[in-house]
Amino acid sequence: MTSLSETGSGGAARRRGLAARAGLAELAILLALVAIFSVLNPHAFPTLTNLNTILNNAAIPIVIGVGASLVVLTGRIDLSVEGVMGAAGMAFVLLSANSRETADIGWLAYPAALAVGAVLGGTTGAIHALAKVPSFIVSLGMWYVGLGIAAVLFGYEMIPFLGNEAAVAWPTATPLGLPNSFVLALVVVGLGWLIERYTRLGRYAYAIGNNESVARMTGIPVAGFVVAIFAFAGACSALAGVMGSLALGAGSATVGVGMLFLTLAAIVIGGTPLGGGRGGALRTVTGVLILSTLYNGLILVGVDPSIQSGVSGVVLVAAVIAAGWSQRARLRVFK
Amino acid sequence: MIQTGIPRQAPIQLDAGRDGTAPILRLSGLAKSFGPVAAVKPLTLTVGRHEVIGLIGENGAGKSTLLKLLTGVHQPDAGTFELNGRPVRLKGPQDATEHGLGIVHQEQSLFTNLSVAENIVMGAGRKGSASTRGGIYRWRALHREAAEVLARIGSTVSPATIVGDLGFAERQMVEIARTIHVACRTAERQGGAPLVILDEPTSVLEEAETAVLEHEIARLRAIGSVIFVSHRLEEVLRICTRIVVMRHGELVADRPVDGVTEADLFRLMIGKDRHARTREAVPPVTGTPVLRAEGLTRAGAFHDICLDVHPGRITAIVGTFGAGREALVRALFGAEPLDGGRLEVAGRDVVQWSPRRAIRAGLAYLPAERGVESAVGGLSAARNLTMVPQGRSWLLSPAGRRALAEEWFGRLDIRPNLPGQDLARFSGGNQQKVVLAKWLRLKPRVLILDHPLRGLDPGAGATVNACIRAAAAEGAGVLLLADTLEEALDLGHEILVMRDGEISARFDRTTDDPTTLDLLEKMV
Amino acid sequence: MKLLSRPDELRQALGPLAIFAILLALISVAVPEFLGGGGPSIIAQQATPILLVALGQCVVLCIGSIDLSNAAIALFASILAALTLGPLGAAAPVFCLIVVTLIGVANGLVLVYTQIPSFALTLGTLGVMQAASLVVTGSNVVYVMDNMDVVGWLFTVQILTLPVAFWIAVVLAAALWAFLRFTVPGQGLMAIGFNERAAGLSGQPVNALKVLAFGLSGFFAGLAGLCVISISGAASSIGLGSDLLVPSIAAALVGGTAITGGVCNPLNVVFGAMFVALIPVGSAAVGVNPQAQSIVYGVVLIVAVAATMSRARHGIVK
Repeated sequence: MTSLSETGSGGAARRRGLAARAGLAELAILLALVAIFSVLNPHAFPTLTNLNTILNNAAIPIVIGVGASLVVLTGRIDLSVEGVMGAAGMAFVLLSANSRETADIGWLAYPAALAVGAVLGGTTGAIHALAKVPSFIVSLGMWYVGLGIAAVLFGYEMIPFLGNEAAVAWPTATPLGLPNSFVLALVVVGLGWLIERYTRLGRYAYAIGNNESVARMTGIPVAGFVVAIFAFAGACSALAGVMGSLALGAGSATVGVGMLFLTLAAIVIGGTPLGGGRGGALRTVTGVLILSTLYNGLILVGVDPSIQSGVSGVVLVAAVIAAGWSQRARLRVFK
Repeated sequence: MIQTGIPRQAPIQLDAGRDGTAPILRLSGLAKSFGPVAAVKPLTLTVGRHEVIGLIGENGAGKSTLLKLLTGVHQPDAGTFELNGRPVRLKGPQDATEHGLGIVHQEQSLFTNLSVAENIVMGAGRKGSASTRGGIYRWRALHREAAEVLARIGSTVSPATIVGDLGFAERQMVEIARTIHVACRTAERQGGAPLVILDEPTSVLEEAETAVLEHEIARLRAIGSVIFVSHRLEEVLRICTRIVVMRHGELVADRPVDGVTEADLFRLMIGKDRHARTREAVPPVTGTPVLRAEGLTRAGAFHDICLDVHPGRITAIVGTFGAGREALVRALFGAEPLDGGRLEVAGRDVVQWSPRRAIRAGLAYLPAERGVESAVGGLSAARNLTMVPQGRSWLLSPAGRRALAEEWFGRLDIRPNLPGQDLARFSGGNQQKVVLAKWLRLKPRVLILDHPLRGLDPGAGATVNACIRAAAAEGAGVLLLADTLEEALDLGHEILVMRDGEISARFDRTTDDPTTLDLLEKMV
Repeated sequence: MKLLSRPDELRQALGPLAIFAILLALISVAVPEFLGGGGPSIIAQQATPILLVALGQCVVLCIGSIDLSNAAIALFASILAALTLGPLGAAAPVFCLIVVTLIGVANGLVLVYTQIPSFALTLGTLGVMQAASLVVTGSNVVYVMDNMDVVGWLFTVQILTLPVAFWIAVVLAAALWAFLRFTVPGQGLMAIGFNERAAGLSGQPVNALKVLAFGLSGFFAGLAGLCVISISGAASSIGLGSDLLVPSIAAALVGGTAITGGVCNPLNVVFGAMFVALIPVGSAAVGVNPQAQSIVYGVVLIVAVAATMSRARHGIVK
């Protein structure tokens, strides 16, 4: 039975071939969406302003996606994204010059916020790997822990507004022709790509996702790598939280709201299946761009913006179904 | 110079010192039991340099346990284990590789999403490799390193290829390359030679691929030694320099290949060739078969299978691992899909087959993997016993369950007599009896038994066998996948032999009176 | 072996009650006026929606899956009830229950047909339900205009100082307990949780039972939604009941339900829900900032799952 299913999947892998590996299908979807919306809305959609809006909206989920893709590559999942964003975002605001005058440690607020994220992510990873608790439930708990930390930091006082006007204006400025936030996201993607391609951390993520028991037999210290990957993902979410706070110009516990669906859906539709082992940060960029273009286009066409999480949900499920369709079998155990 | 498995005080001196150095592997008195079952009895074996050892034996002769001892998956109960002259205690497969002993499994253990080069280097163990030092991959150096290893065994696979894109034989090459990469380095460092175990490498290979593999083995022999495990005797005779035969957990023969014939090997594997032990009357073929298959086919598993199971008769199917008999019986029960052919139960065609429909039609199936597929640990033995939904009532009857449990615990002598206890807390034999009782109480038309004695001690085995006979006597048609040829001969009224997904021979116990040797010859 | 497993069984049977009793005792000592001053009634009121969602969740956990969408379904049900109570009157609760049960059934059908992991599927459903709530309410608060008495009695009528809705939930928990232990489908659900393949090969209708589990999850979520509307008289996508997911999973897990499946005692989930409902009171009593409440929920969830998970059967946990 095992040998059969393996030869089956091997054949399927060959059939998928190079086109799938290069992510051409996803790029085609993106181009098709652009074409469709350009036709539907020739005045508002295909403009430079709107392009910048789409890219600016895509920046935060792309940054989250770099870390989250690495987690998904190992076959795990990180649901704590929104909580970590809230906690790290609030930490950043309260450590920067702000209207509440809590503290101002200058540029150190950035690494401090990333450290908050890395610690939260690392804790998730450590509890998951050492106590052998499924990652989705630990990170679900950590989601709430993060939101709680953000709420405690927020306290009962008035909203803390960021004092540094230049920093607040930075993400949407376009000195390089593209919004700074998107340029930053591309830098993070580059970093993610380097990790995936040139470091043991990244390569082992692929190995663990492909076949974890073989990875253990080969002597890969799976638990250690998983903790490191979750910590990296936490730092990515934290950076996203900082970017979100800059965009708001203020601290908010709910700075990350809606990001979990968007990112997860983008990861799967980009070509990283939840089972892990394939895909990566570059693929997730395509996935995020597909979804950002879709939302943007739908809103320009006049669809209620509040359906965004519903669209993400449907896309997520559809992408998961498509990725797993060939593995359906009689008596297969799925939980 | 046949050496038997009797433990010796001093290991044989023959191979030691052939090259003026210690032999690569020296086992003496190595033994392993699982509960009451002695899987490997105290065994002594020495592997010198530049040898290709053929390890053969029937299913269940103890080969796989021996391999697991060699690779550190199991720890031996007794005996000493030396590699390149040093005593070792292996903690696991990785540890074994780092001691210079690598195994290439039948189930391949490669990362199919990574390149050939990465797979080869990733196996390099905790110490890593120069091209990935510091956690940073230097791809060019990595590819060069892998290419050198591949060249060493004469493989032409490109290091940059993704393993998932390779054919089976090529993957096997990569696996061998990975194994010897580490094994060679360690062995060189310690002044020894590598030992590579190939576990049934040819069973899924085409002829051309096998030829390539033979070539690789010849090259490996120049560096170290090889243990070659196979069911294909003509290959063993062609490839190996020495042959080691296991039977019932003992090493019964160890001789050079010169002058040995396939027939000799058959006899060594079987021991005393024998007929069925029982002489009781074989029930005649009467009426419609309870189960009839015509031209059943499942791509990649079995094809064009025709068989009839008659009420009151036991049909045993024998075959090597991979002959397709497990997949066949699962398909008969509806647990796996069929690609073609006709299936009849009690004279009626079946369509849309599934386990539920099969059970309703009167089939019962006892799977081989008890823990995964039949025993529901966590629920009580009594609940397991009444697990199969029957009738229309949605209500369970605790009283009825108690009565049934009492009856069957008594009949099958299930111990301890605590039907309310979690099934997981019963011993393997008693779990199997509970699972068997679950089906027997339904009085099935067809009873399909997939290795019913696996992991059972002789006492429990005898009870289970008696149950099988009794079920047949009461009119059930039994389809049995036996663990051993003896078991098939003793229980089966009709014996089918499967090879490579087809039925290669049919024997009737009364008219043909086959021997174990007859069966084996048709299997391999 | 036997000696070792006895305390294990004892812990499983009485653990949740003990944990709840300890927390209650601590609070009674720290805040003596809690027991006398209507505290139990308030706790029971807060525990009821959590308990109902948790009962649905524990059935899904029993088959080894998880339903991340049922809290959102509960909220959707409350919104639906707020919208339909006026025009439909007494038929509105029935209508709501049918709709959300069908949503649960749809979850189950998609799950068994596509065989994708339940957490991914229900995460998607969660997104869809959130969007549906926003769209249906137009992102506003919906007040019940008429026929509030159809659901109002659930929390105004009290028996033994506790609201009648709480007692109904307890009776449902007992019924669910009996269903799991004394019926063929109930036994099948447990068998799937313990060993899905063995259940299938023993002729259990695995797919139908999975659909049943998700249908029940939707149904109980619907009841929770009716409770929410009965308590507050209004519903919105961010109002009361929008934060039930983690508390309800925590309640199921504190109630001894194993996330790996098979082990599930709805009666103990009652104590799990009351424990979770006590958390805010408890945290306030020991001086924890009320805003830190969700930290406590998150930690309780993680600790509960880490403590109750049996890892013996699983080599690799993802």
